[in-house]
Amino acid sequence: MSDLVETFYKTFIYEDRYLYFLEGLKYTLIIAFFAILLGITLGVLVGVVRDYHKQTGRLWLLSKIADIYVYVIRGTPTLLQLMILYYVVFRTSSLSPVIVGILTFGINSGAYVAEIFRAGFEGIDKGQREACKSLGLNYFKTMRYVIFPQSLAKIFPALGNEMITLVKETSIAGYVGIVELIKAADIISSRTYDYFFPLIVSAIVYLCLTFILSKVMKFGERKLNHGLSN
Amino acid sequence: MVYQIKDLVKKFGDNVVLNHINLEIKENEKIVIIGPSGGGKSTFLRCLNLLEKPTSGQIIYHGQELTEKTYKAIQGKIGMVFQNFQLFDNMTVIENITLAPILNKIMSKDEAYKKARSYLKQIHLEDKEKSYPADLSGGQRQRVAIIRTLIMEPSVILFDEPTSALDPEMIGEVLSLMMEVSKQNITMIVVTHELKFAYDYSTRVLFMDQGKIVEDGDKESVFKHPKTERLKQFLDNMK
Repeated sequence: MSDLVETFYKTFIYEDRYLYFLEGLKYTLIIAFFAILLGITLGVLVGVVRDYHKQTGRLWLLSKIADIYVYVIRGTPTLLQLMILYYVVFRTSSLSPVIVGILTFGINSGAYVAEIFRAGFEGIDKGQREACKSLGLNYFKTMRYVIFPQSLAKIFPALGNEMITLVKETSIAGYVGIVELIKAADIISSRTYDYFFPLIVSAIVYLCLTFILSKVMKFGERKLNHGLSN
Repeated sequence: MVYQIKDLVKKFGDNVVLNHINLEIKENEKIVIIGPSGGGKSTFLRCLNLLEKPTSGQIIYHGQELTEKTYKAIQGKIGMVFQNFQLFDNMTVIENITLAPILNKIMSKDEAYKKARSYLKQIHLEDKEKSYPADLSGGQRQRVAIIRTLIMEPSVILFDEPTSALDPEMIGEVLSLMMEVSKQNITMIVVTHELKFAYDYSTRVLFMDQGKIVEDGDKESVFKHPKTERLKQFLDNMK
């Protein structure tokens, strides 16, 4: 028992080591938050561009570029994408690793979000678009007021999954020197030669984060599904 | 002349669904299209507002050839009522009705709401304006869908089997609203299996089979004196 107390003390209290965890948590949150924003923005844009092309036949080139983007991102490991962005693309720039992390995870998530939206748009009865057309509504009004809101309600659970995946995936940011949660745990372990507390605490923190996120998404889902119960 | 249809052909792959159709439709006609399933009725109707793109031929609407471009300029003047209502599930009844006139800047929001409420009152659904489509019966939904079309002040309304998805006891309320509409100066083209509307209110009946208009006349001549064997058979089967 006193061993356990001793390790606990070494892990968190001694030399204010808990600050590493707080620092790690801070970067995990910053990267995850901005990457989710970037991912959803990109995903919606790419999803709408592809849908616009499908419906109207226009924007062929942009839609092809969007296809390639989704294909490449889904076909390569996130870690590799992170390393390419960090060691190749932004090698000579003075961009902070945190920004590179946000860009990587955001661009990565965008491709998955785009696919989720595609499934959402395609899942709406085509009669809804026909009704809009017969009422004289153009593509963007149809998308903004009818297709998008209905799709969003349907894909919300999938979107929640994607966000949870993203939060967990930020744990590889340590590879390019960002001290996020796992890296913080690693640093402390390397000083105390004890892995138990740092790893368990990291796990608990991730669980808390994803728990909160899934609760928020559940709440949003209920709000959105108002009137869509059938 | 509302429509002049010249040599209209529609193919799905090798399947000829509309086979060289020529037709003129005058202002204020109440046309009912009858015929067996797969005869091309719905496809024909859907060509009239370009939900289906004709393979060849011309559709001239008020003297102007209907293309995606000219259709856009018409903005809801060719209304359509669908078999499955196609109300927007994410909006309340009144939002459904007022969406298009507001977004297309035909009316101010206040005007549109005022007008929508007076329509809802006419069909005795004024207490449902804040309900969502999911909370309405099929008959109520279809009547709201008809109102949503009417508020655009259409010159034509296309009805694509408006009562086919309804329980029998709800067909009456939809038909009686259609009969109200038929008193207005609106050209109606109705694809239906419901011969009551045809008997009571149509000015002209088309019988379509195998992609062609086989018979075309007033209800007397079509129902009482069918000229072709196919129509006779069809009418016998409907009894």
